[in-house]
Amino acid sequence: MSRPLDRRHGLEPLLAELSGSRTADPGASVTIRNDLGHINVRGRAADAGFVQSVEQVLGQALPVKPNTVSLDQHEVFWLGPDEWLIVTPAAAAAELAGRLQKATSDTHASVNDISGGQVVLILQGAKCRDLLAKGCTLDLHPGAFAVGDCAQSGIARANVLLALVDEMPTFMIVIRRSFSDYLCRWLTHAGRDEGIAFKDS
Amino acid sequence: MQPQRLPTGGRIDRSKPLSFRFDGRKLEGYAGDTLASALLANGVSIVGRSFKLRRPRGIVGSGAEEPNAIMQIGKGAHAQPNLRATQVELYEGLVARTTKGWPGARFDLGAINDIFGKVFSAGFYYKTFMRPKSWWHLYERFIRASAGFGRAPTETDPDHYEHRNAHCDVLIAGGGPAGLSAALAAGRAGARVILADEQDEFGGSLAGAKRNIGDAPADEWLRRTVESLAALDNVTLLPRSTVFGYYDHNFLAIAERCTDHLPEADRAGVRQRLWRVRAKQVVLAQGAFERPLAFCNNDRPGVMLASAVSQYIRRYAVRPGRRAVVFTNNDSAYETAIDLAEAGSSVVIVDSRADGAGSLGERAAKAGISVIAGHIVTDVVGRRRVRGVRVAGWSGNPSYLVESSIHIDCDLVAVSGGWSPAVHLHSHAGGRNAWDTERHCFVPGEAAQANVSAGACNGKWSLRECLREGIESGRAAASRCGFEAPEIDTPSTSEGHYNPLQPLWRVPADAEPERCPKQFLDFQNDTSVADIRLAVREGYRNVEHVKRYTALGFGTDQGKLGNIIGMAVLAECLGKSIPEVGTTTFRPAYTPVAFAVGAGESVGDLYDPVRKTAVHEWHVAAGAPMENVGQWHRPWYFPRDGEDLHAAVARECVAARQSLGIMDASTLGKIDARGRDVVEFLERIYTHNVGKMKIGRCAYGIMLGEDGMVMDDGVMARLGEQRFYLTTTTGGAANVLAWLEAWLQTEWPELEVFLTSLTDHFSTIAMVGPNSRRVLERIGCTIDLDKDSFPFMAVRDAELGGYPVQLFRVSFSGELAFEINIDSGSALEMWKTVMAAGEEFGVTPYGTETMHVLRAEKGFVIVGQDTDGSVTPVDLGMNWLLSKDKDFLGKRSLARPDCLRSDRKQLVGLLSSDNTVLPEGTQLVEAPGAPVPVPMCGHVTSSYMSACLGHPIALALVAGGRARKGETIYAALPGREPLPVTIAAPVFYDPKGERQHV
Repeated sequence: MSRPLDRRHGLEPLLAELSGSRTADPGASVTIRNDLGHINVRGRAADAGFVQSVEQVLGQALPVKPNTVSLDQHEVFWLGPDEWLIVTPAAAAAELAGRLQKATSDTHASVNDISGGQVVLILQGAKCRDLLAKGCTLDLHPGAFAVGDCAQSGIARANVLLALVDEMPTFMIVIRRSFSDYLCRWLTHAGRDEGIAFKDS
Repeated sequence: MQPQRLPTGGRIDRSKPLSFRFDGRKLEGYAGDTLASALLANGVSIVGRSFKLRRPRGIVGSGAEEPNAIMQIGKGAHAQPNLRATQVELYEGLVARTTKGWPGARFDLGAINDIFGKVFSAGFYYKTFMRPKSWWHLYERFIRASAGFGRAPTETDPDHYEHRNAHCDVLIAGGGPAGLSAALAAGRAGARVILADEQDEFGGSLAGAKRNIGDAPADEWLRRTVESLAALDNVTLLPRSTVFGYYDHNFLAIAERCTDHLPEADRAGVRQRLWRVRAKQVVLAQGAFERPLAFCNNDRPGVMLASAVSQYIRRYAVRPGRRAVVFTNNDSAYETAIDLAEAGSSVVIVDSRADGAGSLGERAAKAGISVIAGHIVTDVVGRRRVRGVRVAGWSGNPSYLVESSIHIDCDLVAVSGGWSPAVHLHSHAGGRNAWDTERHCFVPGEAAQANVSAGACNGKWSLRECLREGIESGRAAASRCGFEAPEIDTPSTSEGHYNPLQPLWRVPADAEPERCPKQFLDFQNDTSVADIRLAVREGYRNVEHVKRYTALGFGTDQGKLGNIIGMAVLAECLGKSIPEVGTTTFRPAYTPVAFAVGAGESVGDLYDPVRKTAVHEWHVAAGAPMENVGQWHRPWYFPRDGEDLHAAVARECVAARQSLGIMDASTLGKIDARGRDVVEFLERIYTHNVGKMKIGRCAYGIMLGEDGMVMDDGVMARLGEQRFYLTTTTGGAANVLAWLEAWLQTEWPELEVFLTSLTDHFSTIAMVGPNSRRVLERIGCTIDLDKDSFPFMAVRDAELGGYPVQLFRVSFSGELAFEINIDSGSALEMWKTVMAAGEEFGVTPYGTETMHVLRAEKGFVIVGQDTDGSVTPVDLGMNWLLSKDKDFLGKRSLARPDCLRSDRKQLVGLLSSDNTVLPEGTQLVEAPGAPVPVPMCGHVTSSYMSACLGHPIALALVAGGRARKGETIYAALPGREPLPVTIAAPVFYDPKGERQHV
């Protein structure tokens, strides 16, 4: 009689705090996605067997170019020469992690479902590059950080995984859940001149 | 009524009069004024008192070089101390106060210092205030108050400051003719350009200049150029923005003042912004500073830089004096003389050169200005304001003595000793400077980073050269970034011919500097020619030492005005050339920067990230005060009905030992470690025999640094043949993971092991107490929990209340206890489930304080509290954890003679003789009456009231303590007699460990 996992992201109290202060014309909006699962995969990019097994399960390429994300059925982020993050619908994450584990069990690899530990923020709006520039040291100019680029960097004093997923622009911020409250409060403060709105997915 | 305001001209807006207060006096100026120009317009001549001698001082400059007009601006929490009035834009309602002089700058009791000026020579503080040493804090308070400077507001800063990261192809510092030309050239090539200038409008020396560029007046060229730049999307214009630091890898910092120029009521949004810029190329175009000359009493109010006088006339329509003497050794001050004459002042030029100026000399003659060539100003008459000068003939002879002088009446002395390029940013970047023997100034030498200097800051004085170098450097910078830069013609300008500058620093007087009135070099620190000479007589040779001894260039102006002439005087005293003496080091910040803009958004709640667990909101709702543990906020205790810390902790401890306590342990670091070589890897990291661990069982492990000292500890579990789950301390989590990765990646790459952090994924709920098993069963657990099926130190996957969990039977309290690892998304629900199921047993949530008491009762250490990086496992009595069958990190260090000493500090328990809870950190001594300094034999590391035992307990590190059980030593407590304490075993409660095995 197992019950499905709850998908609390922990930002519910902050959203309740902010619900009173709606910004009329926000320059940036943040959507908190709690419907996504996260799988950390480690293995060697040079290990053809490993790469093939993972790609077979995923049905899409494992990005081997540093700081890129493969955007298809799943979002597959390159994190390092031997580490990737797969973001996929939450409901399917455990099953996908199990299949990846099985497919890579006879090679040097590691698969961990880390869904409970991560929060995804979708940042959109005309001012979102300005807002990010207040806390992130990366060059996010469209010519320097294009769709499909990702980077592990910092926003203010929190570590994040940042990716540009479309030209709207839409940024995807993956952050460890314990830091997400800090980051959202920082975004609220830093974005008060631009106007920022939060919503739950 | 502004007596010194000219009826026409200037770039001020006469339709917008502004009122402001200066030391309580209500005055008026116009929009477009700086505070300095408005003060001059109102005829204010004394704006401060000097640092040491308390001499009255007036406005000298018109920009960043100003040493005297240092003001407190604004009131209350918005106030800013120590701003230069020359760089403060006037706004309606501005409140300014002088920062020096008591009771005020106009009348200052401290001026008596000037009478005894001989006493206040270089090194005065070192010589006078050193004895007795213990009095320094008294002296310091007096000196500090006497020195002046503004006061930082004590209120919390209510304004909003922010940081902004930016990247560009070309950063241009300085928006005068060279900078604007560079920006246009690089911008039109398509490069991403940032142009920053410290003033409110671009133009630099062009503002108000009466010249033509091409076929249009300079003002028109300026307007068109700024418009063209503003129209380019790839160009960011930053007025009111000071590039104050140039750091490694072409990283530059800019302080932008967004709203400081507005009346306080009209300010909205960000007050100041720190731009952190990564530039591919940098063009430095910050211009040059005019130098003063060191003649007697050259600090009297009314002695000003010639260029500043011109600025006040041209840009602000303010006439700083009616009867002026212009004292110069070069041509540029002739323009000032012409400006003064056109403004209706009478002017005499005193030129040290026998043959006077070039084309400008002819223009001055046409304007009816008399020139006394081959003469120098030796002394100034007047105390609170210039009343005249002494002028003497001089043929350039090096004796520095003049025989006779004449008096000229005047109320203004405009001085020019030549120009020094602003080489500050070039120098911050690591570039050296070269002495230009023709122009007599330091010019930028080879650049150390991707930067070039253009225009006056490269020693180019003519407008044509500035425009040309600007265009060339902008094009070159853009093309180095890969842009094709179109050709741009340099606009034509009319340039006359110039006579060369005559090198002159210290001006001859009728006596040696020690015997004549002071010839000032550094106005902020009252450093005079005589001080430099004294330093040299006392043996100082190096310019950096002389700086520190005489305080030359130590003020907030960092010697922008006086350093170069000071170095020239030093060179003369040492019989060396100026380049042989060299300059002192130019360091950021170029002008002072407010702390607030450095802090940016990282203030208050956002000072540092607050990490919250998945159960945090429940803790908050339950009213638990929070404790900082690393960056985490953990509940400290859960008070009920107005309980204080002690009452709540006593209740929580008893509940956990007698029935059921529950704690959020989610902050522990959690690491998944797996791979073919994981056992070998962990054997090298941990001290115990990892390979002997059975699957499904846990072990307590410690890891040591290479020095053999305890680094971190935690429970680890073997989940499979090649899979482990490690826990770390809360504060050590990130460091431990980095430490493990470092060994894997750099020293042992042959080991096949992967590590993954699970710290945030899993939340951990600890259930502690004799009823914990019963409540788990009540919630519904899919595995048998009895003592044989699930023994102490077992780990098993299970379903609990329908949720998949990892269940551990581990204990940090000595009680029967379980830890539940659950996906953090469901942790709050699980917590509530446990609370509901445990209600009947009085389930009691507890925080970090109770956790500490429970573990201390059992003698369990906290790494970082009971250890401090100098404690070995042997010191802690953990020899049983040190495997003899293998090597591990730190093992060899444990065999060092120092680690084998029998008198090392060892972990013991302490019992106080009178129920006193010893403060943690208390020093322990052998004998109460020993002579001072009393030798210490240890200190208290943990100390609590134990409700379960009914008396206080403490853990301590005591020299040779383990062999001293039962002995009495003494706790040194502030304000009372040393207290006898008894050394005991560190385990106070259930020493046989039976309770956790039930």
